[in-house]
Amino acid sequence: MYRYDNIDKAFVADRTAEFREQVERRLAGEITEDQFKPIRLLNGLYLQLHAYMLRIAIPYGTLNAAKLRKLAWIAKTYDQGYGHFTTRTNLQLHWIKLRDAPQILEHLAEVEMHSMQTSGNTIRNVTADPYAGATADELDDPRVWAEAIRQWSTLHPEFSFLPRKFKIAVTAAAKDRAATKIYDIGLAMRRGRNGELGFEVMVGGGLGRTPYLGSTIREFLPTRHLLSYLEAILRVYNRYGRRDNIWKARIKVLVASLGAEEFGRQVEAEWAKADHERTDLPDTELARIRAEFTPQFETLSPRSEALERAKAGDAAFARFLRHNVHPHKAPGYALVDVSLKTPGLTPGDITSEQMNVVADLAERFSLDELRVNYNQNLILPHVKLDDVPAVHAALAAAGLATPNMDLISDIIACPGLDYCALANARAIPIAQHIAERFADPVRAEQVGELKIKISGCINACGHHHVGHIGILGVDKKGEEFYQLTLGGSGEEDASLGQMLGPALPADKVTDAIEQMVEVYLRERKDGERFLDTFRRTGVTPFKEAVYADAH
Amino acid sequence: MKALTANRLADGEAVFWNQGQWVPRFKDAQLFEDAAVAETTEGEAKSQQTVVVDPYLIDVIQSEGLWAPLSFRERIRALGPSNHPQHGKQALGGDDIAALQHAHGAARSTGRVNLIKRK
Ligand code: SF4
Repeated sequence: MYRYDNIDKAFVADRTAEFREQVERRLAGEITEDQFKPIRLLNGLYLQLHAYMLRIAIPYGTLNAAKLRKLAWIAKTYDQGYGHFTTRTNLQLHWIKLRDAPQILEHLAEVEMHSMQTSGNTIRNVTADPYAGATADELDDPRVWAEAIRQWSTLHPEFSFLPRKFKIAVTAAAKDRAATKIYDIGLAMRRGRNGELGFEVMVGGGLGRTPYLGSTIREFLPTRHLLSYLEAILRVYNRYGRRDNIWKARIKVLVASLGAEEFGRQVEAEWAKADHERTDLPDTELARIRAEFTPQFETLSPRSEALERAKAGDAAFARFLRHNVHPHKAPGYALVDVSLKTPGLTPGDITSEQMNVVADLAERFSLDELRVNYNQNLILPHVKLDDVPAVHAALAAAGLATPNMDLISDIIACPGLDYCALANARAIPIAQHIAERFADPVRAEQVGELKIKISGCINACGHHHVGHIGILGVDKKGEEFYQLTLGGSGEEDASLGQMLGPALPADKVTDAIEQMVEVYLRERKDGERFLDTFRRTGVTPFKEAVYADAH
Repeated sequence: MKALTANRLADGEAVFWNQGQWVPRFKDAQLFEDAAVAETTEGEAKSQQTVVVDPYLIDVIQSEGLWAPLSFRERIRALGPSNHPQHGKQALGGDDIAALQHAHGAARSTGRVNLIKRK
């Protein structure tokens, strides 16, 4: 876990003091809302339907017990006792008062956290593979690079007023658990012919009104040049991005209009001009960061008798093992998912009490580490197999052990019209309703992997374009309606979903999902996931099932 | 019929105009029959920069003999989030809250006058 050095500490403290003064000036009427709004947004503070919302950065989704306990305490003291994890692996508190915000930032700084650049036209909080440092299929710990990007990009003067927001995701594994193809820049580590490590650089992915998957502009960038190359990309974007039109201002539109090849050529030309030494991280600094990400694993047997015994007598635990426990690179350890997807509850919501339970488990059983993934769940990344039964029991007692990871009730939903000032329709009640319909774990397991993603408007915070089933809330003559898309994926086989048909009213959505599940179960061939069947059959059978009795 | 709403600067709470004061419950909101009066009042509200943020007029309709915001979005602001019924103004209960919860048939997500969406 990266620890702030004195420079980091002083920097965050300065920023907090600055924001305190800005809030005081706003409350005293010395600055107007128009002047203040961009300032509060640069500190992650939005004004929503019921209150202010504070979006707290969780760099590359990594937390420890002290941080999560602090978040629990802040949520209890200054909010309504719960928080909401987002697809950007941040935590949102939805009931914040402006006058409390500076105090909250001070409390966050005590545990080396902040909310800088979780909004605004800046380089936003960097995300990474949530299995980083724990999975056997990675070439390096991507958080080393994500932390380097965090330090380089935070309050970077040249990139604080970009044409539009800018998001970077990093992975070092073959399996893409960081959705790198839907990011402004996606970085995927590869090994070069001579054994050297480098990044495949993808640019111009993004969802929203005009969704695109990222295009590779460089197959292999030696890792040591990461920052200078990012700088070159940002410079080209900063110069040519469409500041005149908010709907065309993201880098994806620039890349699409120039073509990835031409965009890549311009980046290379920019990069060739630059003094790489000045920007690239010196080896000493890289080593300092790297030293913070080296957990010590014990030498253990790859098989745990305690776990096998527990599994033999307990079907619920066996199901939990099948869906929520994953192989670890160190023998005798596992990654354990903490489900924030209890059917009927709000996806991604967690109470302060639950945060404290998870913090205790991280401290006792997971080398004091925790991860947030973009599916709005948490992960205990380093649990000894021997301890998995105890961890399961504690999670179950706290309502955090639903064995549904990647199943139909593991639904992504943005806050939607229940909170968000930009929404067209609600997302959460749709998710609740679908998850309740498929709450039976046996049935959910029969259906298998099926990723439903819901957004309350075209901004697509709920990633609906890349859901196996995507649901988008739209406003149709003043009523909440929902447009369904099929066949999207945000992983290494990334694709954008295809429209099913005319939008459906809220009370028809769950039935439509069930009808499509029936089609899948009828059509599927050995071992096919919903996505595979859809890709083979196309949209027609699903469309027929949903719209058949509409006439 | 219109009402005037905003979010309070200090805490972000959704509030409604009544005779120069801002009140948290929709049932206490002043209603404007005369559009011109409503607009003049909106202008007055906009000058209260240290009290509220972004005041705007909303359309209201009748529900169960009481008044309710026309738009679903505004009803959610007047009630609280539908996924957490214990949070927000709806937790207070009462006939006025029930009337807002039962209001239907109107536009659900728009209805704010002169709404401009920015992200
Ligand atoms: S997708 Fe739209 S409704 Fe959902 S959180 Fe994003 S902006 Fe709000």
